[in-house]
Amino acid sequence: MSVIWAIIRKDFQMEFRTKESITAMWIFSLLIFVIFNFTFEISRLLLLQISGGLLWVAFIFSGMLGLNRSFQVEKENGNLRGLSLTPADPGLIYFGKFLSTTFFMLIFEALIFPLFIIFYDIQLSLVTLWIIPISILGTLGFTSLGTILSAVAIHTKQQQILLSLLLWPLITPIIIWAVKTTGDVLSGELSAAFQPVMVRMLVFDVIFTTISYLLFEYVVQE
Amino acid sequence: MSQPVIVAENLRKEFGRVVALRGVSFQVEAGAFFTIFGRNGAGKSTLLSIISGMASATDGNIRVFGEDPAERTHRHKLSVISHESFLYDNLTALENLSFYGKLYQVADLNDRMHDVLHQVGLHHRRFDLVRTFSRGMVQRLTIARAILHNPDLFLLDEPFTGLDQHATEMLIGLMEALKSQGKTILLTTHDLQIGLRLSSRFMILERQRVVETGSVEGLTEEMLRRKYFSLISSGEAGQ
Repeated sequence: MSVIWAIIRKDFQMEFRTKESITAMWIFSLLIFVIFNFTFEISRLLLLQISGGLLWVAFIFSGMLGLNRSFQVEKENGNLRGLSLTPADPGLIYFGKFLSTTFFMLIFEALIFPLFIIFYDIQLSLVTLWIIPISILGTLGFTSLGTILSAVAIHTKQQQILLSLLLWPLITPIIIWAVKTTGDVLSGELSAAFQPVMVRMLVFDVIFTTISYLLFEYVVQE
Repeated sequence: MSQPVIVAENLRKEFGRVVALRGVSFQVEAGAFFTIFGRNGAGKSTLLSIISGMASATDGNIRVFGEDPAERTHRHKLSVISHESFLYDNLTALENLSFYGKLYQVADLNDRMHDVLHQVGLHHRRFDLVRTFSRGMVQRLTIARAILHNPDLFLLDEPFTGLDQHATEMLIGLMEALKSQGKTILLTTHDLQIGLRLSSRFMILERQRVVETGSVEGLTEEMLRRKYFSLISSGEAGQ
């Protein structure tokens, strides 16, 4: 546990010192909200239908910025190699990076969600609280795969392009499920498919986190 | 006769169709300062990657402290210093050492961090961010990171790259201190003068093969230079 905690602490120390990721993520999300809010004249009904997608566009595209930055710092001075040369279990190194990115994204999502509510005048109810487990499950799916694929892409010159090419096809299912369930929650009515989809998201997270944990050792080998 | 720390037998490494090592065999005794000379692309860094366990050989045997380096069991006994620092620019010197200390589970970490910072002459800059350091200071902090967990074996991969004369002399001084403490050191360099000054034994890699190995006893820089360039020339002639 001390290895995981050390990596999380280190990542947060650096981010709160430079604020590089958080600034880029904030600007990007605000831009998305502003453009969609003021460019398109859409009815309230249509807005509720697309709001889930809109929110996850902000979460995921901003998350990509955070993910890229998180591994950029491990590339600058050969740090990922430095980490791999320590006696620490590679699986624990994976969990450290995975959890630091996840916590960072969840904090960002918690900060950006109230803005989304204000911009789009979303009516709050008890059902809205379901956004918390949806965000957690969707973000875990994104970061579990994003972390290991970032470690793959770090060895290449076209790191950001390769990461996008590898990540998008794999996370498509969980993003679709997250968008669908978020749409239900924001419209205030949960569909019959809501709970089965939540279970699918949980299963997706467990499967890909386990696979990534097991494969990380081979990914960091030269 | 001291026990060999590294035993390599007929190592071969291929990256697809590119052969990086061709049947390399050598051994390094405990407490020795062993230098591998060779040009860029001779296979020095690949060899060090295999010894550190970061890469596996395509063929042949390698034992470090009697074990397969891929098993990771010897990681706490070795340290790698290269032209890459493995340090985080946006952490202070102390924060960097604290981070690596936790990964190596160093006992009495706080005392040890201050101790190594004194050793490399950076204690007064402990609260400064690494990004404010000069190249020489970064390399001194890299040494501090490398000696923090008190390893027995040091793998030094072209550590003088980019250093000015002053920083080079300081790094040499630190290596001599490690040598006097009985640490085993494996250095790769193409700088014959520095290699000869520090080593007890040497090996020359040329075109991914061992072309010469021996003791530096009685060897002058001029003799080594002539030998080195004649071996390289014959390698080129054979191309």
